Amino acid sequence: MADDKDVLRDVWFGRIPTCFTLYQDEITEREAEPFYLLLPRVSYLTLVTDKVKKHFHKVMRQEDLEEMWFEYEGTPLKWHYPIGVLFDLHASNTALPWNITVHFKDFPERDLLHCPSNSVIEAHFMSSIKEADALKHKGQVVNEMQKKDHKQLWMGLQNDKFDQFWAMNRKLMEYPTEEGGFRYIPFRIYQTMSDRPFIQKLFRPVSSEGHAHTLGDLLKEVFPAAIPQDDEQKKYLIVIHGIEPLLETPVQWLSEHLSHPDNFLHISIIPAPSD
Amino acid sequence: MRFVGLTGCSAVLQGDMAGAGAQVESPWKRHVAEQLKQRDRVQRQAFEEIIHQYNRLLEKSDLQAVLSERLQTDHQNRHDLSPCADAGRSEALLQEMAQIRIRHQEELTELHKKRGELAQNVIELNNQMQLKDKEIQNSEAQMLQYQRRISELEEECRDLRNSLQDLERANQTLKDEYDALQITFSALEEKLRRTTEDNQELVSRWMAEKAQEANRLNAENEKDTRRRQAKLQKDLAEAAKEPLPIDQDDDIEVLQEDAAEPPGDTSPGRALSRTPSRRVSQPPPGGILDSISNIFGRRRSVSLSLDSTETETHSGVCSEVRLPTTALHTFDAHDGEVNAVCFSPGSRVLATGGMDRRVKLWEVVSGRCQLKGALTGSNAGITSIQFDSAGSFLLASSNDFASRIWTVDDYRLRHTLTGHSGKVLAARFLLDNARIVSGSYDRTLKLWDLRSKVCMKTVFAGSSCNDIVCTEQCVMSGHFDKKVRFWDIRAETIVRELELLGRVTSLDLNHDRTELLTCSRDDLVKIIDLRSNAVRQSFSAQGFKCGADWTRVTFSPDGCHVAAGSADGTLFVWNVLTGKLDRTLDKQHGSAINAVSWSPSGAYVVSVEKGSKAVLWSDI
Repeated sequence: MADDKDVLRDVWFGRIPTCFTLYQDEITEREAEPFYLLLPRVSYLTLVTDKVKKHFHKVMRQEDLEEMWFEYEGTPLKWHYPIGVLFDLHASNTALPWNITVHFKDFPERDLLHCPSNSVIEAHFMSSIKEADALKHKGQVVNEMQKKDHKQLWMGLQNDKFDQFWAMNRKLMEYPTEEGGFRYIPFRIYQTMSDRPFIQKLFRPVSSEGHAHTLGDLLKEVFPAAIPQDDEQKKYLIVIHGIEPLLETPVQWLSEHLSHPDNFLHISIIPAPSD
Repeated sequence: MRFVGLTGCSAVLQGDMAGAGAQVESPWKRHVAEQLKQRDRVQRQAFEEIIHQYNRLLEKSDLQAVLSERLQTDHQNRHDLSPCADAGRSEALLQEMAQIRIRHQEELTELHKKRGELAQNVIELNNQMQLKDKEIQNSEAQMLQYQRRISELEEECRDLRNSLQDLERANQTLKDEYDALQITFSALEEKLRRTTEDNQELVSRWMAEKAQEANRLNAENEKDTRRRQAKLQKDLAEAAKEPLPIDQDDDIEVLQEDAAEPPGDTSPGRALSRTPSRRVSQPPPGGILDSISNIFGRRRSVSLSLDSTETETHSGVCSEVRLPTTALHTFDAHDGEVNAVCFSPGSRVLATGGMDRRVKLWEVVSGRCQLKGALTGSNAGITSIQFDSAGSFLLASSNDFASRIWTVDDYRLRHTLTGHSGKVLAARFLLDNARIVSGSYDRTLKLWDLRSKVCMKTVFAGSSCNDIVCTEQCVMSGHFDKKVRFWDIRAETIVRELELLGRVTSLDLNHDRTELLTCSRDDLVKIIDLRSNAVRQSFSAQGFKCGADWTRVTFSPDGCHVAAGSADGTLFVWNVLTGKLDRTLDKQHGSAINAVSWSPSGAYVVSVEKGSKAVLWSDI
């Protein structure tokens, strides 16, 4: 399985070309140039947009600066979803680069969480890891880790250090061989047209008869509408990390290799393009 | 792009999946990998370079903007200085350049200077470093020293701790022993306390018994006295009734003389009746006789004196001196040697003292001596005994350097007179009964006051004193150096001395205290007339031998006889008037006679010997 490592690497180093433009109603001293950036899919918006912030600060009056927030085609972007999820969910059908509008005013309190500093992101990230481990190992692995191990996970993500992160994350991906997988698969299913933020259920990687569950099994259980009927046109795309894995891919393997750094398998279900 | 070729891609992938069954690698995995590659191709690689370049251009344009801004401000400044110097602009530019160059050169020199300073700093720092190195070396050396020191001290500490432990162990042992001893001690103390209590109880019981006994004795004495008085009264009555038919003229004359001139020494008949008068002047000193009996006795003695020349033994109370002829009672008086013997003034009680440290009191009843009691308290053998004139106290001297006084009634030790540094050989009451003279082997005489119980005087006699007698003012002492010394009590000086031929062993006075009887180791018994201070008579006999330095001899109560015991156990009795030997009594004693005493009543003689025996003699 030499290329499993390559999969992990590709997942880690996934990038999205993005164009940040200032919202046209923002008052500027001079003309604000758009700012282009390759965003890491596995990271968080507020963690990687320091340069964007700096760029636009140059042209703004200091007194107008409030907390920065992002919006795409009228939808405020939740910074606490991984960037890849946001893109797959909202913009996978649009042309690249991804056009994100930057706001400094009128913070949408109802839609977004405030993010005053990186420690908030860290707290969110660590709580996700703990939640995932609670599902996978009843939280034993993450609880046995020391404080510096937790720090190593976070610093690996913050500084985009693949080896540093995976040296520690490897432990979280272990499981007793006799059980053939985790207790439950930590996954979240996002969809654009629902009011629910995401679907999350308890789902075992191995069936009671002993053979491995696949992505198809998972969807059948959780979101049956996503599975196309025999003769029907495909209505939904099931996207993870910008790709569509085959339905017969085992969920255990997916969880191990296509999970985000927060250890969750984020699955976006988007309507298939009509044309 | 919007996932260009996604459908096509999936078609291809489906084809791949069809062939995947044969392949080792799972088709879904390959699908994922390829999809990811595809994704990256579309989303990442296509834009990576563009965005990178864009960012660089953005940076450059920013820089440019900054520069142009500055230039513009400069430009404006220059416009202010030279409004229309378009031609001078290049010049100004040149100037500016020159200025910049100069500035740069200045900066360069500045930097050079700084470098020099820094180099200097480096050298200094190097020096400092060397110094510090040296210091470190020193410190290390010191540290080594200190470490050695520490190890030494630790060693010492260990030694001390060991010794401390030893000491503590020893201390513990001692403490244990001490505790054990303490326990033993308290047990013994408890025992002592109990014993003391017992003793106290016994003493109190004993005292009670003694008191009872004393009461009994007193009662008996009382009875005795009453009986005697009754008898005397009866006698008196009888005598008064008697018509005196045998009175002769001589006697009547004497009686008349006596009646006419009671103290008459100068009467002419005195010389004629010398013997009776002497007898008369010797009333028994017993306390029970009162004046009536005296008068009666005198009268009777006078009345009976018609045959007194022939039979002296029948001459009244005081002239009832009977020459001892037979041994009435021979008894074991003491364990061991008997040294001293003395009758009480009443003649009823006999006291003996022996080497067994006791004084024993005997009652003479119907020719036998019955033990009344023993006086204890002396720590060594008794050397001499005397009753006081009332017969209530008994004085005994002892070899333990002390003299003691008991009361006769309750046998209780009253005084112990200590002070001599040698054994006390003789002790006598003075006539006032309140003072005592004792003579000792330490060659001194001591005068004691019984009221204050202290030694009033000490006289250095010059020789060991064997015996003492006292008159009113004079004390006579017989000494080891063959001398008899005469002392005045008040002057404590020798009045005179008389030398005999042998060591003086015994002294005795007759009742008038006019004659002194001596016995010395030259085996002579002598009578010294105190008035003329000369030897009046000497007695000796075949076989008479003085047995010891403390052999005591005695006058009879009337002074007409002298009794002495010999070393062979024979009792010799001489007649003073004739100077002849009257009696030789042997076969009773088995060893040398130590002392002889004549009872004041004249009826008994007691002799004690070196063995344990005492013999009571009388004429019956």
